[in-house]
Amino acid sequence: MLEIKDLQKNYNAFRLHCSMHIRPGYVTGLIGQNGAGKSTTFKSILGLISLDGGNIKIFGKDIKDIDEDDKQKIGVVLSDSGFSGYLTIKDIMPILKNIYEAFDQDYFLNQCQNFGLPLNKKIKDFSTGMKAKLKVITAISHQAKLLILDEPTAGLDVIARDEVLDLLRDFMAENEQRAILISSHISSDLESLCDDLYMIHDGGIIMHEETDVLLSDYAILKVNPKQYEKLDRQYILKVKEAFYGYCCLTNQKQFYLDNYPDIAIENSKIDDVILMMIRGA
Amino acid sequence: MKGLLIKDYKLMRSQNRFFIVVILVGIAMTLIGYDYTFITSYLSFVCSMFVLSTISYDEFDNGYAFLFTLPFKRNTYVKEKYVFGLITSGLAWLFGVVITTAFQLITHTPDFSMIDWLIAELMLMPALWVVLAVMIPCQLKFGGEKSRIAIFGAVGAAVVIGIVIVRICDFLQIDLAAVLNALPSMGIGTITVLLILIALIVLLISEKISEKIMAAKEF
Repeated sequence: MLEIKDLQKNYNAFRLHCSMHIRPGYVTGLIGQNGAGKSTTFKSILGLISLDGGNIKIFGKDIKDIDEDDKQKIGVVLSDSGFSGYLTIKDIMPILKNIYEAFDQDYFLNQCQNFGLPLNKKIKDFSTGMKAKLKVITAISHQAKLLILDEPTAGLDVIARDEVLDLLRDFMAENEQRAILISSHISSDLESLCDDLYMIHDGGIIMHEETDVLLSDYAILKVNPKQYEKLDRQYILKVKEAFYGYCCLTNQKQFYLDNYPDIAIENSKIDDVILMMIRGA
Repeated sequence: MKGLLIKDYKLMRSQNRFFIVVILVGIAMTLIGYDYTFITSYLSFVCSMFVLSTISYDEFDNGYAFLFTLPFKRNTYVKEKYVFGLITSGLAWLFGVVITTAFQLITHTPDFSMIDWLIAELMLMPALWVVLAVMIPCQLKFGGEKSRIAIFGAVGAAVVIGIVIVRICDFLQIDLAAVLNALPSMGIGTITVLLILIALIVLLISEKISEKIMAAKEF
């Protein structure tokens, strides 16, 4: 569906170099701190910036060859960009209808009403949450095959976030050949939605794992210096010093559960993994 | 392109108060018997500026990034801006011509010749197109604020080019005044057609320059 191979983009003090593979039927998450390279990766995929190296293929075609027909099948949410704030939802509908061949106006209108979005109010006067909802509804209203969503839940409260994630789940459930690439700062969103996760740091992918594996096989071991000495470290990915000794990230939880019954082993969440991958040595 | 035209129309409608003021001023100038040619040029030049404000709206708040994820090429965006500029200025020109002509017919303006009047009005079109041809690439390249400086620069450059042409003609001993004096013998109709053709060529060159400007942009 989407393949990024050795993508390179250089800015003054920043260098992006990453590869990713987004498969049909999968929701793939991209996690990283601010400035890690998420938005640059999204902009590269969307052809908004030029590449310094590598290549990107969407639907098997190089992005240089992507035409209007291919773009019809892509839905996009960008965290810092959208339709002009001087337009209203009523203004947007005929625009979308004439831009997207498969635009489903009834669905769009129903979703706007479900989310309580005012049709005649200028978008610039919307709350952050309302703007975020409108962006997602716009992206899923034209039978896209691939959604590229940069921080789609930013600014939403817990309830609204859950509603938006439900929309995305429904979108995937409708057609198994669809795919989503999504970035978010809120790891719980990604935990509950994504099948596959990429972690980006300083412009490079530092981890790629299926979410189920990450939640079931990854763990945090909390050991004192004496336990650390005796610990078999072949499955330890990262180590960080803590007040009690050492905090270790493993991707073989069962091994340590079986062989070290006396040490504290905690199930890791995505936030723990991010923290350990970035701060651990 | 239709979707983009609708977008710009909707954006223009959000400035309807300004639009109404422009039309009312045009009608008021007609009623008080102001220079009728000026009224048409005023209406069409002001309305041609709407295309520049639609570019500002598109650009505002990083709007270009989302806009260029929609299914159209950057070239289509550029072409649409020219089409929109031609439509708005053309409609305003038509409106100006209709109200000033009607008013002159109703008030039985002395020495009014419909043909001469329409040719004079038609000569506004190439001037309008050249203005669009300068303004659109400047706006696309430099954005709202800097484009004004760029336009001043373009006018300055035009003056310099004019001076250079005069100097070259002097050097080659070509009598420019004689050439200009010979123009009326070509007939006003021929001159108008010639000017329209020149303006069209300038517009086409400008459109190609704008395409290159947009192709090089990163968002």
